[in-house]
Amino acid sequence: MTSALAGIRVLEIGEMITAPYAAKMLGDMGADVIKLERPQAGDRARRMGPFPMEEADPERSGLFLYLNTNKWGITLDLATDQGREILDGLLKSVDVLVHNIHPPEMGRIGLTYAAVRKINPSVVMTSISPFGLDGPYRDYVAEDLTTWNAGGAGYTNGSGDGDPDMPPLRPFGSPSSYAGGAHAAIATMGAIMGRDVSGEGEHVEVAVQAVVAAMAGNIMAWPYTGKVQTRLVHNLTQPLEAMEAKGGWIWIQALEEHQWQKFVELMGTPAWATKPEYSNKIERTANWAQLRPLVWEWVSRQDVLDLCLRAQASRVPFAPLSTMKTLLESAHLDERKFFVALDHPVAGHLNYPGALAKFTACPWNALDAAPTLGQHNETVYRDLLKLSSHEIADLHLAGVI
Amino acid sequence: MAAKPLAGTRIVDLGWVWSGPYACMMLAHLGADVIRIESSLRPCLLRTLPPWPGGVPGSASAGGGTFTNNNLGKRSISLDLKNRDGLQVARRLIASSDAVVNNYAAGVIERLGLGYKDLRKLKDDIILVCLSGMGDTGPYREFVAYGQGQAAMSGFTRFTGVPGRPPKTAGFVLADPVAGAHGAFAVLAALRHKRKTGQGQFVDMSQWEATLQMVGDSVLGYQLSGKEPEPLGNRHLRMSPHGLFRCRDAEGEPGKTLDVWVSIAVAGDSQWRRLCEAMDAQNLASDTRFGTLQARKANEAELEGIIGAWTRQKSAREVTERLQALGIATFPSSTHKDVYEDRNLRESNFFVDLTHPAHGRHPYPGVPWRMNGAPVSVDRPAPTLGQHTEEILDELGYSTREIEHLQSIGALK
Repeated sequence: MTSALAGIRVLEIGEMITAPYAAKMLGDMGADVIKLERPQAGDRARRMGPFPMEEADPERSGLFLYLNTNKWGITLDLATDQGREILDGLLKSVDVLVHNIHPPEMGRIGLTYAAVRKINPSVVMTSISPFGLDGPYRDYVAEDLTTWNAGGAGYTNGSGDGDPDMPPLRPFGSPSSYAGGAHAAIATMGAIMGRDVSGEGEHVEVAVQAVVAAMAGNIMAWPYTGKVQTRLVHNLTQPLEAMEAKGGWIWIQALEEHQWQKFVELMGTPAWATKPEYSNKIERTANWAQLRPLVWEWVSRQDVLDLCLRAQASRVPFAPLSTMKTLLESAHLDERKFFVALDHPVAGHLNYPGALAKFTACPWNALDAAPTLGQHNETVYRDLLKLSSHEIADLHLAGVI
Repeated sequence: MAAKPLAGTRIVDLGWVWSGPYACMMLAHLGADVIRIESSLRPCLLRTLPPWPGGVPGSASAGGGTFTNNNLGKRSISLDLKNRDGLQVARRLIASSDAVVNNYAAGVIERLGLGYKDLRKLKDDIILVCLSGMGDTGPYREFVAYGQGQAAMSGFTRFTGVPGRPPKTAGFVLADPVAGAHGAFAVLAALRHKRKTGQGQFVDMSQWEATLQMVGDSVLGYQLSGKEPEPLGNRHLRMSPHGLFRCRDAEGEPGKTLDVWVSIAVAGDSQWRRLCEAMDAQNLASDTRFGTLQARKANEAELEGIIGAWTRQKSAREVTERLQALGIATFPSSTHKDVYEDRNLRESNFFVDLTHPAHGRHPYPGVPWRMNGAPVSVDRPAPTLGQHTEEILDELGYSTREIEHLQSIGALK
């Protein structure tokens, strides 16, 4: 089987999540990805963890290890003249540049699209930034929390129990950064396909704020109704919340009439469940304060996975609240061979989340664990840029690589 | 001018609710001719949900705001796939297409007679992407999966929320558009493979596995440390302060005050000292309770109290400008109104004004990226149900008489 991106060479100058994730998506579909990091410090993701024993170690950061599979790792100091010269050589030999260099920094190191285009007119350059390259906030810095809130996803999320002192609540993880990376991968893939036809290069700009706004499903409430949605509303229909069962938490959702009826049957049709004040979803929602503890009490006596399977057998959409342990032990994911085991020279043998989809004609592949800092300097500078061992050693001594 | 990257590519969108339709909208953004097959006998759930213009519930045919927002740039043909002749039209349409995308529950597409084997008979190089909840194999294959259940199964819900309180959802249904984005990427990979090799394929995609792409760091972290993540509220293990702080109230809807919050994330000790400078609290910068990340984490509630007292007197915009000038990641927690009025999104022409046949003219979120060469844009609003039925039948070569016949036997419902 040939890969969808066989023969496409990508240079990634990425930190943290957005650009590395986009480049990983391309690499896992068969592109040849070279990841460029600063000498010494490397990608900031190397300092984010999670780490074993909470001891920081740049070669054992969960975030870095996950995002950088299938990449050649090189180091290069772009602030030096020599480094810049080598970068030009790299740019000449790649099809795609994916980066998330902070916009004002792009000009300072001469890495604008105009400059890149002069070196290689057929390159697809994808620039990912929090707020875009030329708007009023181009200089703004951002963490995941920042872009999540800037795109309108943050404000409506939170207490839901009407407690105004509780701030809007961020979700677990770094969702806006992953989404930014995924959308950048979509746009880059589109640009590669455009270039397949035209032979022309392309500049793709992805602002994570806009990505979040595009995903914010209910955003039409403002232009359609002039109403401002807040987090201080109860669920429109009940039950719809996480409850604690034996062995873990379970997502309890039975909004449709037939789902609630099946749920009542599962509970053995207790007398309280058939009272008129719970007879339809409007009543159940209005009287949820009384109904809730009764449901909680019943759920708390059930085994989480058993209840979930019984509910699903009746087409009631309960779901377990996974932990990392239960994910790694999931029979379903195991049967689908979702996790992929990779060996890393320092971090060792670990199971990685696998294919985003099972392709039958062009493979998704995670073949190599993330590179250690500068692991492939020799290979890349020798084979790609035809530098001699002496020249490479000199660059190393000068701190350029 | 360069063409759109997917010009000349046709996608049949058998999407349902959110993830499939979102995936196909991304492909429409890249210039594909995306045709939704729908039926008035069973309209997409999203068509029936609010928000509605003016707050007045409209018809499924028109479609509520979550539908119109997630189906930009598409056409719609109305077909009853359980009617033999309706199904025949779908087959003829698919024979003229490059890819079929659906996010039905596993097995449904086969029961409709549109499984991969059936489609290959129609067109040897067809691509079929099934974006089902749990994927096409495995013991949970038949699971009923909604977005919030997906977020739960992917680990998001368990670790979202405040310590000591029950877990919370991740707000708007994050898993759907994220799975949809990965779905769009998968379709593109298959399309490029087809352009290169002439080969179509079946792609088995699980929304669960797509959403799990976002927790890879924690999956590895658990194996490295033996420890599960913890719900941290708005806090962060490696940044402090990291949270939302209340600002001066502002007007939301005309005449109504609204609580206003600003997000502040401080990465590192030098940023902390700059924050102290911004607050005119130099004594804090040398206060040992807050000097290092470890110290700030140990005294975080106190620290948040001090910052909150400072932000409470200011507008979120004022706090943002002052802290961003010092290189600290800060931005107001934007309401939907704020997003629509955001200077940056406006100046980059992110929103597009579109005239919907039922709802009139409104601004919609547009393409979430820009291209220098290819003219990516949103060319049409979301379709009303079956809006383009006759136009598409005509393109497929059906005569007026044949169309009337199909109508009379109920194939176009």
